Amino acid sequence: MKSRYEAAKNVFIDSIDIDDYIELSSSVTAYKQLQHSIEKPLKMILLFGRPGTGKSILLNRIQGKLKYQKEIYYFDTPAPTEKEFFQKLFKVLTQKELPKNTEVNFSALIDFCKSLRNKREIIILLDEAQMYGSEIMEKIRLLSDTRAVKFVVSLHKTEDEDLIAKEHFQSRIWEIIELKNATKEDQTAYIHKKLLKKNLFEIANSIKPKDMKLIHKFTKGNYRECNKLMFTVFEICEYYDTHEPSKINYSHIPSKIIEMSALKLGYIHV
Amino acid sequence: MYDIEPLESEWKAYQHKKKKPYYLVVLGIVLLALVSVALYKKNIIFDGYLNQFEDNNVKVSNKKNISSFSNLLLNEGLVRLETVNSPDKEAIKEEAIKSEKNEILVDIPILDIKEQSEVVDTNRKKVHLNIIKTSTASAYEDVEKRFYESHDIDDALFLARSYYKKGNYNKTETWAYEVNKIDSNLEEGLLLFIKSKYKLGRKNDALSILNTYLKKSNSADAKNLLYKIENNKL
Repeated sequence: MKSRYEAAKNVFIDSIDIDDYIELSSSVTAYKQLQHSIEKPLKMILLFGRPGTGKSILLNRIQGKLKYQKEIYYFDTPAPTEKEFFQKLFKVLTQKELPKNTEVNFSALIDFCKSLRNKREIIILLDEAQMYGSEIMEKIRLLSDTRAVKFVVSLHKTEDEDLIAKEHFQSRIWEIIELKNATKEDQTAYIHKKLLKKNLFEIANSIKPKDMKLIHKFTKGNYRECNKLMFTVFEICEYYDTHEPSKINYSHIPSKIIEMSALKLGYIHV
Repeated sequence: MYDIEPLESEWKAYQHKKKKPYYLVVLGIVLLALVSVALYKKNIIFDGYLNQFEDNNVKVSNKKNISSFSNLLLNEGLVRLETVNSPDKEAIKEEAIKSEKNEILVDIPILDIKEQSEVVDTNRKKVHLNIIKTSTASAYEDVEKRFYESHDIDDALFLARSYYKKGNYNKTETWAYEVNKIDSNLEEGLLLFIKSKYKLGRKNDALSILNTYLKKSNSADAKNLLYKIENNKL
């Protein structure tokens, strides 16, 4: 027999599926800010925040929303080499495949972009941009200077990665959008909304404010960590439900299970 | 199959670790309480010692005072007074009153006869009392000080008597008045008050008080005093 917790567990599988996007007050603000920035004649937009703060899903969502209105492309993972990155970019800009045994001439690409000015407005969303080398980043900057291509650069916020912005884009026109970890209230809404989206009302109701506080304490409001923790919580609940039902309280998720999950994920230690 | 058992053990260990500070706090409180109780008890014992020590001191000072009283009473040098206790206290009193020279000696039996007679009642022995005269003013001050703390009528009476014998009639008046305030029926206090009035030149006042007293009392002493005052023989 299937456990009632299986569906709940699957809700928290970490993904950037646009269908899993949960509208929270903070994410709506970030979304609107990004949309507004894209409308402005800026060459580059910096989206940054710690891992798990929802950058990728925000880029996905904006792409999903604007794809019928604008020429918008989402580069999810960085190309392993510069050559491959420009091949990808060539395809986007020219709408053609690069012929075999050929390489992109960067100068020619710049000229091509210049020729596109006032004809096309191309938006490229670069996720995980901290993985691009400084040389590529410099070339991206030059491409953005043509004003035919607008880049939204998504970076992890770390001390080192802030340097990238400083070194390569200090003189550029920037719009900076920072995504932060969720507050306790936002995280509570996030968990509830996620469960309710799958009609798991009773389970959503079994997570009490005290548990939310504990979850927020362990995950520090990080959405990715929250997904991981909730997945583990429901995994343990599923185990008890299937094997030792006497140990589980269906009306209330015991803090014991939350703590066990935190131990398993290494948030706390013995 | 989910490996739950190690996780449960780990959680138990975590709980233990989590509660450790609380246990320590509780332990600390218990220890603090125990130490407080121990200190409190120690203080009680210490206070007991202190009280005992103070009591001893008081006894010693009382003894000193008593000896001071005794020491005050004779005129010159060391006098050995040998008294044979007699059951007839009144006779001794009267004899003392009659004798001007022995006047000082009157109070010795009054003060001491009580004690002596109790002793004699049981032992029927001769009591030898060594009385040393002293002019130490501090002895009186001690008694005065003690009186203001204890309001003991005996102290006031002692002072009134002593000052009278010393000829300090102002002080006699004061202390006889204190005696009267405590016990208005005590004749000796009243008579000392009257005598001091007379000695201070207020014969009329003295007579007035004495006559008022004699209206309700048939005291021989009072009558004797009236006779002395009227004939200026005091």
